[in-house]
Amino acid sequence: MNQLWQALANGVMAGALLAIPAIGFSAIFAVLRYPSFAIAGWVTLGAFAGWVANTKLGLPALALIPVAFLAAGLVGGLIENTALKALRPAGALTVAIGSIGLNIVIENLIRFAYGNDLRGFDLPLKPDLRFGGVRVGPQQIENLLMAVAIMAAVFLFLKFSRFGRGMRAVADNPDLARLKGIDPKAISLVALVLGCGLAGVGGVLIGLDTSIDPLTGYRVLLSVFAAAVLGGLGSIPGAVAGALALGLAEELALLIAPPTYRTGIGFVAILLMLTFRPRGLLGERAV
Amino acid sequence: MTDFIKGLDRRTILTGAAALAGAAALPRLAMAQAGPIKLATLTPLTGAGGPYGPVMVKAVKAVVDEVNAAGGVLGRKIELISEDDQTNPEAGVRAARKLIDIDKVSAIMGTWASSVTTAVAPLCWESKTFLATVSGADAITALPHQGYLIRTQPNTTLQGRKFGEFALEQGAKKVVFLTPQTPFADSQFANIKAAMEKGGGGAERLIYDDKKPSYRTEVDQALAGKPDALIFGGYTPDTTVLLKDIFRAGYTGKKIAFAYSVNAKLLEGVPAEVVEGIYTIAPSPAEGSSAHKRLVKMIGAENPDPYTTQIYDQINLILMAIAAGGEASGSAIKDNVRKVSQAEGGAKVDNAIDGLKLIAEKKAVNYDGASGPCDFTEKGDIADCQFRYEQVKAGKFALVKIA
Repeated sequence: MNQLWQALANGVMAGALLAIPAIGFSAIFAVLRYPSFAIAGWVTLGAFAGWVANTKLGLPALALIPVAFLAAGLVGGLIENTALKALRPAGALTVAIGSIGLNIVIENLIRFAYGNDLRGFDLPLKPDLRFGGVRVGPQQIENLLMAVAIMAAVFLFLKFSRFGRGMRAVADNPDLARLKGIDPKAISLVALVLGCGLAGVGGVLIGLDTSIDPLTGYRVLLSVFAAAVLGGLGSIPGAVAGALALGLAEELALLIAPPTYRTGIGFVAILLMLTFRPRGLLGERAV
Repeated sequence: MTDFIKGLDRRTILTGAAALAGAAALPRLAMAQAGPIKLATLTPLTGAGGPYGPVMVKAVKAVVDEVNAAGGVLGRKIELISEDDQTNPEAGVRAARKLIDIDKVSAIMGTWASSVTTAVAPLCWESKTFLATVSGADAITALPHQGYLIRTQPNTTLQGRKFGEFALEQGAKKVVFLTPQTPFADSQFANIKAAMEKGGGGAERLIYDDKKPSYRTEVDQALAGKPDALIFGGYTPDTTVLLKDIFRAGYTGKKIAFAYSVNAKLLEGVPAEVVEGIYTIAPSPAEGSSAHKRLVKMIGAENPDPYTTQIYDQINLILMAIAAGGEASGSAIKDNVRKVSQAEGGAKVDNAIDGLKLIAEKKAVNYDGASGPCDFTEKGDIADCQFRYEQVKAGKFALVKIA
């Protein structure tokens, strides 16, 4: 029984971390209509920006969130809006392939600058807390709270800000949005900065509890993509639901399958979803 | 200009042209014989093995420079080509293809990860290129390598047994072997288990995916049976993450790891309390031997790691085997390496320069190296070797014993 509770707790925490980059991925898809696999690069970039701010400048964990958001959001937004822009008229598949290439470039630039070593944040390593038989790390709890706060902020932004409403309008119907005088170029840029920035925040949250290296983003890419597909590509509440479902599924599967197969769960999830409910848990475009 | 042409008659020009054509048509072999002997290192300069590769290359280069300064081998200079296998089989194969097909080297030295060696070995034996490796997986010498492969690292049968015996010595009855999916995971576990059961204990194993940023669930599973000792079979990056999660889980039992994964670099990267008390086991170099002293002087490092001592022996053996065979081909190295490593009644030598002199005088040699006696079985394994046991105390490695 303890094992089940432990798996559920692990699943919720893993899912919450996954949800942040998954929201970013979905936000870009909703507005620009292409799956940006370069998101893995922005996850890593955010993680490294946070790591530099933490170990070189001595900033505390909470302050790393805006650092990662700005670094990944500005660099990512700028690059996706220039390097990939020329590919957009050729269709989503072309941009998607371009984004895979872009990811490889970013990953290797980071490798060039920082090498392949695993790096840990400069935070005290605390033994886990125990609730009954369930074991939870203090950093994990902190991360979960930060993830929830960030998700709340994103929803408020989408719901009430001018750009947020614009994004939802473009996602819903780009032509109608243009007729209403919403500038699609500005909205695209906002979506990219938001998407890439959230990916970067996800990177820092992952790194705080574990360690980072140039492959940090690449390792979560499949899970992020699976979460977004699971929830319905382009749907932001869907991305959250998908990430939680995937986090739980990956952890619960470990109760019956050896840990080596954990990554495979993401693939199985995509396969099942696309076969039986191609529109995802919450359906498309439910921004 | 015109004067110059006037001075030459038609016949002279024709003769000259014919001579040129003739030179071009000379057998390529003759040219190759006159050129340098090409040897290669294929070590990890990046990835999990990254801390070892650069020093390994340095040791080989030092030997090559020394031998070149003394006139080379068979009157030819040695040219060393170094490639990076990135601790990655795919990159290793690409690099090996380049070394074999483009550089046409006679021997490759130093492949480190067992997965890389397993991938590169077939290219070598098919192209009759000699391969000397420092990988430990049993399966490697069981490959159909036709003699084109030797290794200086003790195989995992021997290593697994030492881990099991050491755990028993420490009073552990129940151990869990945590390992990623490596080519030696199976044989190592079988030998740990056999050693434990012989002493009345038992062993479980847990195979994990080595590219995860967190192993909380795996750790829970490993600790579920309340083991007395954990044995780590992974490399530095995954062991770092694993050790942190084990600390978080509040595990206080014994920990035993390979010295190549729990190394100085790992100690630097994690808080001291995470690694305190952990034991490491490594095949021990022949410290105090004359070859070891020579190597220390050559590369200016007090404590060369086992792989550096091994590759130092590999280059010495290969150079002498070429001299003994009178030819710089991979086949000649294959046929002669045991004649210089373990010739019965041969003169003991600890470096290639002395060995080359004796070989030139048609005398038999028996090389004793920096990593050990360097005697090889028919399959290519070393026959004997010592192990070094250390424990992390106050953030530093303290010697427990060499046995």
